[in-house]
Amino acid sequence: MTTEILEAVSNARRRFLSAVLALFSLISVIGVVYPVGLFLWPHRKKVGGVAVRSIKISILEVPIGEAKFVRFLNKAAVIIHPNEQEVLALSAICTHLGCVVKWNGGKKELDCPCHGGRFDIRGNVLSGPPPAPLASYKARVEDEYIVIEEA
Amino acid sequence: MSSLRFGPVEIKNRLAVKAFKAIDDRFGVKEILDDEVFEKIAPSHLNFWSCFGGISFFLFISQVVTGMLLMIYYQPSVSQAHSSVAMIMNEVPFGWLIRGIHVWGSSLMLITIGVHMAKIYISGIYKAPRELNWVIGVCLFLMTLNLSFTGYLLPWTQLSYWATVVGTETPSAIPVVGEYIRFVLRGGEEIGQMTLTRFFAIHVIILPFVTAGLITLHLMQIRRQGISGPL
Ligand code: FES
Repeated sequence: MTTEILEAVSNARRRFLSAVLALFSLISVIGVVYPVGLFLWPHRKKVGGVAVRSIKISILEVPIGEAKFVRFLNKAAVIIHPNEQEVLALSAICTHLGCVVKWNGGKKELDCPCHGGRFDIRGNVLSGPPPAPLASYKARVEDEYIVIEEA
Repeated sequence: MSSLRFGPVEIKNRLAVKAFKAIDDRFGVKEILDDEVFEKIAPSHLNFWSCFGGISFFLFISQVVTGMLLMIYYQPSVSQAHSSVAMIMNEVPFGWLIRGIHVWGSSLMLITIGVHMAKIYISGIYKAPRELNWVIGVCLFLMTLNLSFTGYLLPWTQLSYWATVVGTETPSAIPVVGEYIRFVLRGGEEIGQMTLTRFFAIHVIILPFVTAGLITLHLMQIRRQGISGPL
């Protein structure tokens, strides 16, 4: 049955259809090999181009006794200015399940809104489920600026 | 001798024919291919709804392949799981595509299995002598559910964490053994690294192997008993 029908189809038409089939097969093969090849190829770890290894912000932005949230190394970080001589910089990512902690100005501590983890201004766990202190960064005052660098 | 015929297609290229013959003489592939693919006559009562078992099988293969690719970048540790998945999504070229196919494929597979089961049930195909193959099919469905459940934890997000809290809490309602089941599922009292490692092993090795074995049985029985006719 099939062969009878196919024999009725002219050779030109058959050649055209074979060419179309070959073309589409080629496209599908490329469509798989290209993305998978790129996926497997070890890629250089470009730290996002946007990530900053050190940042500088005006000291006026963080009044004494206050905290300011910034983006550092592509992640949330917090700068705390507890007193005249000291500035601290911590990762704002809770070590429990990765929520961003909030500054509690009244108690001068960092509270995690997710499961109630609490950290002091140096990142140590005060209470709650977080298993480890917050990561800290190097912070210093330079003239009118606060400079943060990776620890 | 100097040409090969696969259904309607004839191959005349001498080199290709020779190479194929060399393999065929030793493995007898042509006979299998003809019987199973090129000369096989599908029963005329098959329709659109008959395809869903095959589609589910195709999706399983797709899950295995994309899963293998994802394993190349995924790290099953509490501290790395989430960031490695974020890396797959944001940094690895086409990582979003591979993971997207895996994530959507898992949901799609449950849908196609649902349709397949409905078709088998409504057409009464599960009846004798195919009852046992229906049972194997139901086991396959359960395997798929478990694969979805264990895979859900692996990105280690809020959603997956709490889904696992709830999912592992549920069996603890069973009298007497419930608490022990929860303990074994979690690999401890709490959900943590032990749970993640367990779920990872179950998701990438144990269940895929069991599922592949059951699929083999399922298909072999269909081969042996033939595809059932309509009511
Ligand atoms: S994520 Fe912060 S306490 Fe759970």
